[in-house]
Amino acid sequence: MAFDQTAETELRLIQQAQDGDRSAFGELVRRHYTGVVNVVYRLCGDAGLAEDMAQEAFLRAWLNLPSFRPESSLRNWLYRIAVNAALDVLRRKTEEPIENEKKQMVTDQAPGPEAAVIAKEQAAFLQQAMKSLPEAARSVLVLREYGELSYQEIAAVLDIPIGTVMSRLNYARSRLRELLKTQVLQMEYDYA
Amino acid sequence: MHEDMRTLLNAYMDNELHGTRLVEMKLHLASCEACREELKDLRQVSDLLQAAPSPEFMPAERFVSNLTLNLPRRALRDRPPKPGSLAWWLVPAGLMLAWFFMRTVFTLSGVVTVADATGLLGSADWLSGGQQAIWFEAAMSAFDGQAGGMQSTLAALNDVNILGVNLFEGFLWQAGIVLLYWGWLAAWWLQRGPRPMKVMAGPFHS
Repeated sequence: MAFDQTAETELRLIQQAQDGDRSAFGELVRRHYTGVVNVVYRLCGDAGLAEDMAQEAFLRAWLNLPSFRPESSLRNWLYRIAVNAALDVLRRKTEEPIENEKKQMVTDQAPGPEAAVIAKEQAAFLQQAMKSLPEAARSVLVLREYGELSYQEIAAVLDIPIGTVMSRLNYARSRLRELLKTQVLQMEYDYA
Repeated sequence: MHEDMRTLLNAYMDNELHGTRLVEMKLHLASCEACREELKDLRQVSDLLQAAPSPEFMPAERFVSNLTLNLPRRALRDRPPKPGSLAWWLVPAGLMLAWFFMRTVFTLSGVVTVADATGLLGSADWLSGGQQAIWFEAAMSAFDGQAGGMQSTLAALNDVNILGVNLFEGFLWQAGIVLLYWGWLAAWWLQRGPRPMKVMAGPFHS
């Protein structure tokens, strides 16, 4: 019941925003901001950049909103725009170093209990490992793990067949597992 | 391990296997130590990804304020007809009504013609418009000199309007309506959501 009301409210907001209502669009952004910014952060690994990408994605969404079909999923549509916006930015920034990332790595090296340090190192390593994945595989993995989309939804968002979603996800997880195993071995060696 | 099997293990972990595939996978896992280990590893990777901390992002309120200030002017466009709206569903309903109307007209026309041919309507001269004359004459010429049975059959068919232009017109009308209906169906198919997941075939062996 509550879900129906939420969906109904969202549909009304979408129609108002399509008619040019900025406050209705603002409410839609408020609802989907966390999901979108989290997905783009996992794609790029930088919080500041992720906020910029999210802003770019919502601006594109605003401009294209009149062509959006309200009966389809707004969240999936926004994810599609966000992933494309993020990949565009990443392609432009491929060779540029990211300052925030360096700061993050410095923070991670702060002293503390050994378990916490290991966890932080592992999280930082994981983010780096994610970035080492090909864009196509990373996008599928991020939409599954952080966007919590079904295979069918991922296929629709990225406009690829479900079989491709499955094979890319398999590749991404297998690759990450290999990298993590290597890292665990390295850490065991370092702390021995 | 075969890549197809690993892909299926991923799908199983993500609750994307259903029906027979799910049952087969459960049975396979019960008997395959290697696949159980593989599944455990996959879950570990997924758990690690889920547990990875997120940084603190700009609060939503501030983000929305900044964004709405920067929203450009947008040219309003007419929205396409919304599937699900009354107008959208009136199209097939109208086509069905048109089909029923045409069928009724042609059926009644046939009944009246037969009734007239059998003399049930008396001497209704206004009904005999001679519409079948061309077809009838052509067919009779084609079978000229042949067995009299064929000519009498043609004459009978002509009487009940089978060879008449009505049959051809009726076909044209129905074909047109069917084509329009297919067009609407194609439009509905294109606008509907994503296609359902295809079941992936793959061997259950490691």
